[in-house]
Amino acid sequence: MNMSPRIPVVDLEDGWRDVLAGVAKLKCILDGSNVVHFVPDEYMHLYTTVYNMCTQKPPNDYSQVLYDRYKQALDDHIESVVLPSLNEKHGVFLLREIVQRWEKHKLMVRWLRRFFDYLDRYYVTRRSLDSLKDLGWSSFRDLVFDKLKSTVATIMIGMIDDEREGNLIDRPLLKNALDIYVEIGDSQLNYYSDDFEQSFLNGTTDYYSKKAQTWILENSCPEYMLKAEECLQKEKDRVANYLHSTTEPKLFAAALFELIDRRAEEILNKENSGCKVLLCDEKTEDLARMFRLFSRITDGLLPVSKIFKEHVIAEGMSLLKHATDAANSRKDEKKGVVVGLPEQDFVRSVIELHDKYMAYVTNCFQSNSVFHKALKEAFEVICNKDVVGCSSAELFAAYCDSILKRGGSEKLSDEAIDESLEKVVKLLTYLSDKDLFVEFHRKKLGRRLLFDKNTNDEHERILLSKLKQFFGGQFTSKMEGMLKDITLAKEHQSSFEEYVSNNPESNPLIDLNVTVLTTGYWPTYKNSDINLPLEMVKCVEVFKEYYRSDKQHRKLTWIFSLGNCVVIGNFDAKPVEFVLNTYQAALLLLFNEADKLSYSDIVSQLKLSDDDAVRLLHSLSCAKYKILNKEPSNRVISPEDEFEFNSKFTDRMRRIKVPLPQIDEKKKVVDDVNKDRRFAIDASLVRIMKSRKVLGHQQLVAECVEQLSRMFKPDIKIIKRRIEDLISREYLERDSENAQTYKYLA
Amino acid sequence: MHKLGRGSRDKVQQFMTITGASEKVALQALKASDWHLEGAFDFFYSQPQISLTNSRHLEDLYNRYKEPDVDMIMVEGVSQFCTDLQVDPQDIVMLVISWHMKAATMCEFTRQEFIGGLQSIGVDSIEKLREKLPSLRAEIKDDHKFREIYNFAFAWAREKGQKSLALETALGMWQLLFAERHWPLIDHWCQFLQVRHNKAISRDTWSQLLEFVKTIDPQLSNYDEEGAWPYLIDEFVEYLTENGFVQLRK
Repeated sequence: MNMSPRIPVVDLEDGWRDVLAGVAKLKCILDGSNVVHFVPDEYMHLYTTVYNMCTQKPPNDYSQVLYDRYKQALDDHIESVVLPSLNEKHGVFLLREIVQRWEKHKLMVRWLRRFFDYLDRYYVTRRSLDSLKDLGWSSFRDLVFDKLKSTVATIMIGMIDDEREGNLIDRPLLKNALDIYVEIGDSQLNYYSDDFEQSFLNGTTDYYSKKAQTWILENSCPEYMLKAEECLQKEKDRVANYLHSTTEPKLFAAALFELIDRRAEEILNKENSGCKVLLCDEKTEDLARMFRLFSRITDGLLPVSKIFKEHVIAEGMSLLKHATDAANSRKDEKKGVVVGLPEQDFVRSVIELHDKYMAYVTNCFQSNSVFHKALKEAFEVICNKDVVGCSSAELFAAYCDSILKRGGSEKLSDEAIDESLEKVVKLLTYLSDKDLFVEFHRKKLGRRLLFDKNTNDEHERILLSKLKQFFGGQFTSKMEGMLKDITLAKEHQSSFEEYVSNNPESNPLIDLNVTVLTTGYWPTYKNSDINLPLEMVKCVEVFKEYYRSDKQHRKLTWIFSLGNCVVIGNFDAKPVEFVLNTYQAALLLLFNEADKLSYSDIVSQLKLSDDDAVRLLHSLSCAKYKILNKEPSNRVISPEDEFEFNSKFTDRMRRIKVPLPQIDEKKKVVDDVNKDRRFAIDASLVRIMKSRKVLGHQQLVAECVEQLSRMFKPDIKIIKRRIEDLISREYLERDSENAQTYKYLA
Repeated sequence: MHKLGRGSRDKVQQFMTITGASEKVALQALKASDWHLEGAFDFFYSQPQISLTNSRHLEDLYNRYKEPDVDMIMVEGVSQFCTDLQVDPQDIVMLVISWHMKAATMCEFTRQEFIGGLQSIGVDSIEKLREKLPSLRAEIKDDHKFREIYNFAFAWAREKGQKSLALETALGMWQLLFAERHWPLIDHWCQFLQVRHNKAISRDTWSQLLEFVKTIDPQLSNYDEEGAWPYLIDEFVEYLTENGFVQLRK
């Protein structure tokens, strides 16, 4: 048998003796006690020795023994050197020592792994055992870390609390110590989380619980919030400096809970400095901070927004009270004035209030939807209050009227008018009774278009386009029709004048302007029939002929109450030019034929109602301009009175407008709107039932309210009455099995 | 009859004895139920009892009460009818009889209504009808029939051409109807209508009031003002709470 030369078998104990010598040298190196180092030959010798001991044929294969002895060597070192060095230390010194020991342990494991590399590559792999690294680290974990982890955690938490108190601490040391908790778990964080983080979070809770309790007593709300915000920022910085990043949300939540969540009510309601006071004092910076802090806790913004809403409502109610007081004090002086300056000021103040608090929502509260909702709800309260018997709808209409009549009392620029209208329209979104506003506004629009020669069509159009944009075409279609009628009227006037010049025999010899209004666009106007003077009759006839020649099938209805006349009165002193209502003019013309007329003469000749006659005669004989003399000369018109032309009348002005007291149309507008609402409710109910066929009561009511709430807020009782009316008119019936369910009847 | 076996003949005899019906009727019922006596009884009692009445007697009766020149029984005829029955015209049993007759209008019966009604009751003479009065009056106690009679009363008591029931008539009808079955709030309801409403009553309100009486306890603890009750009933509830007759829990 041909045998190769035999390598000598390495005896276990002989080999291990060599390995131990290497380990001892390694320990010296790590201790830094001398300058020895491994020369390549020594390293290779150790490696080769282990290799040989592991590759020899059984029973000389010592892999398992070496694997076990590897760990034993580490354990022995820890027991004999590491632990004694730690046991005698406390506090920061303990921390420093364990950090050093961990570093050295890692180095030692790394070097030994090189000596025992063969085990890792073959034996560990083949047997599916822990790697030498894992085995080595578990020695430190089991013998050192497990023993000291609580103590070390306590020390670290103490250091962190020191830092919170403003003391300087060794941050790198803290970070290194914490890294042990992370590394020891091979970055799985379970050791970090279970053995440090949980205790740390509990400690944080304790810390801030005590601090909050003290600070809330010693500080004002803004001061407290400033401290809280600073603390929260510092906790974030702490994570960035030495904690694991996964701790941040938990740490932040713990601190936030103690500083803000648990103290929310105390913070907000702190006497003399809470949320309400900040709003009153306009502390926008503090409010912004409050928003930042409270927005971080669950539902934290709700109580803040509630206080905000209540504050805005209170401010609005204060404006309302001011307007009420002003109106009442003025009412004592002049009775019966409908909408005056204090009411205008109220609307302007509400606009300013809205601007102010919209800025708060935008700037302090970052346009948060909760605060938009709070503002909306607040203004829904403010904008739906009556002021001295005037509904908001009427007030807003009057305010628009004042702007559109020559830009209001302040002669606003075009830009200012545009801006004012924009703001009013925004407030209108809060109004429940938008349909009532439309009706009042339409009425006033009619007056402006017909009587105010300085009406700016462009401004009217601007407002209508804004209303249309916000509320839809249905909202504005009638008013657009009105503007169109006025435009057409100008064209009509040109055509009419051309017609008169082409037909000289039809010339009425009096200047005549006629405005044709489309029924349905315009509000319905009170109209009284009257016996017109001949001069006026001729005018009417001429225009009728013209109109018939142009539009064969249209019917004209004359509304004299909307007419104006210019009449020259020849008085002893000097002639005076009067601007009169048509009725006033017709009445005065009677005195061209008679010097003196009785009340009954006037009534019968003009065919006036008593109400109208009294009103007209009062304006001509008892008011500022006494064009007629009345017998007896008191201030009350009665059927026994007689009237005479006042030839002695004079006035320093050459042109006088004789005012006729306005009839209060408020009740009529409200009645008209209520009637329209009944129709709207009926139409909505029928429309819903037609599409659904069968529907429960509450669902029907809810859908009806939803459909109509763009224009007005229907009263549930009225809806119920309309449903009953539809049942009796046989549009609907009750289901025979369930009275709560309705059926549509085709 | 020689065609029938002895067993069948016995059954005919039993049926006739128990129901008082004629042999012809007995045969018809037994055949319809395949000669089971129990089935025959069910058949007999579920059928309109037209065959028991004599058409000529009914014609004579109708002609006794109808107007001389109009083919209809009117006020005088109804009055005479009540006299013959020895019944007050205001008696609730007249309402029940009218319901059987499907009368369209109070104090009027067409030929069809009168004759058809008496047939459905199963009588063809005043004597027989008078004997039936107690059982007719008792029908008002049955819940199902009460509801039918109650709802019938609305159209019956209504003025011709009107959609609503005049208030005074409605009040009278309610007093009449609820005298038979106790409703603690009837007096409050009538007073409320006279004080607060003072207008005619719609069919919907009329029928829903019965539901209200049936389903809502007199203390109103289960009243839902957001439910589908007619507004008049909502107002009534408000009236009761305002005046302290009922303490509404909120």
